[in-house]
Amino acid sequence: MSAPPGHATGAGRLWRKNLVIWAALLALLLLSLGIAYVPMGRITVAAGIVIAVMKSALVLLLFMELAKSGSLIRLAAIAGLVFLIAMFGLALTDVLTRT
Amino acid sequence: MSDESALLREPWFDFGRQREAGKFGIWVFLGSEMLFFGALLLTYTVCRIEHPDAFAAAGRATNIWYGTINTAVLLTSSLTMAMASQAAASPARLRRLVLACLLATALLGLAFVVIKGFEYKEDIDKHLVPGAGFALPQPGAQLFYGLYWLVTGVHAVHLSIGIVLVGRLFWEFYRRELPTQANPELEITALYWHLVDIVWIFLYPLIYLPGRSS
Repeated sequence: MSAPPGHATGAGRLWRKNLVIWAALLALLLLSLGIAYVPMGRITVAAGIVIAVMKSALVLLLFMELAKSGSLIRLAAIAGLVFLIAMFGLALTDVLTRT
Repeated sequence: MSDESALLREPWFDFGRQREAGKFGIWVFLGSEMLFFGALLLTYTVCRIEHPDAFAAAGRATNIWYGTINTAVLLTSSLTMAMASQAAASPARLRRLVLACLLATALLGLAFVVIKGFEYKEDIDKHLVPGAGFALPQPGAQLFYGLYWLVTGVHAVHLSIGIVLVGRLFWEFYRRELPTQANPELEITALYWHLVDIVWIFLYPLIYLPGRSS
């Protein structure tokens, strides 16, 4: 369809976009590794999980292209999240309020 | 147009609808996978709330280098998988880039499994398998390692399935049995691969990072 110059720009644009996301993911990985050694009690634990949420948001929105998917696809993805939150929410309201 | 007619399958009359339905189907499956791994992580969470000190000691006994390097390997495989999927979806003909990225993805997946194998070997040598002769004194640490073997094992099975799927696509594209451009099988495989990566993104802080600061 397109001539060889078109190839180079198409591939180059894809690499530039995705390498930025990859660099952000690796930076977050190193950040969570570093924070794990800082003694802040519960904040240290929370930081590890918050960073994992940030990393998976990058993968979900950009690598899995949820950010530009149609509403049907988004709904299917959100349905998974909603039931996950319900499961954790219901179980932890019991476990965390035991005396 | 010839690409589309080669890829169109029963019962669809329209290729655009086939692609959309395939994506929708895999997302529903991925939703069930989220709940499957979610249930395991919820079990971990409840056990950790009950035994915080034992989980810290158990997390400290894992090998952080294997865990961190493997996380980087898997994040990089997601980069090459995303590149393969986006290159195939691009209107520019990027068949060789798709092939190279699929091969890199499968090899990075294999590298993860090999590194994990060395880690398992070390864990067995350090008596970190729950049961008689377990290395750590805290009873809760056995719960941690019971979950460790279960969750990482199930994850490795998922990843192995992904390696087979990506390897199969590479082989079919390499032999020109299927067109790469706008191929729905590639898009679906890529989504599965990324979810397996996301599962590991959560396993990393839960398995390797507890107890590092104490």
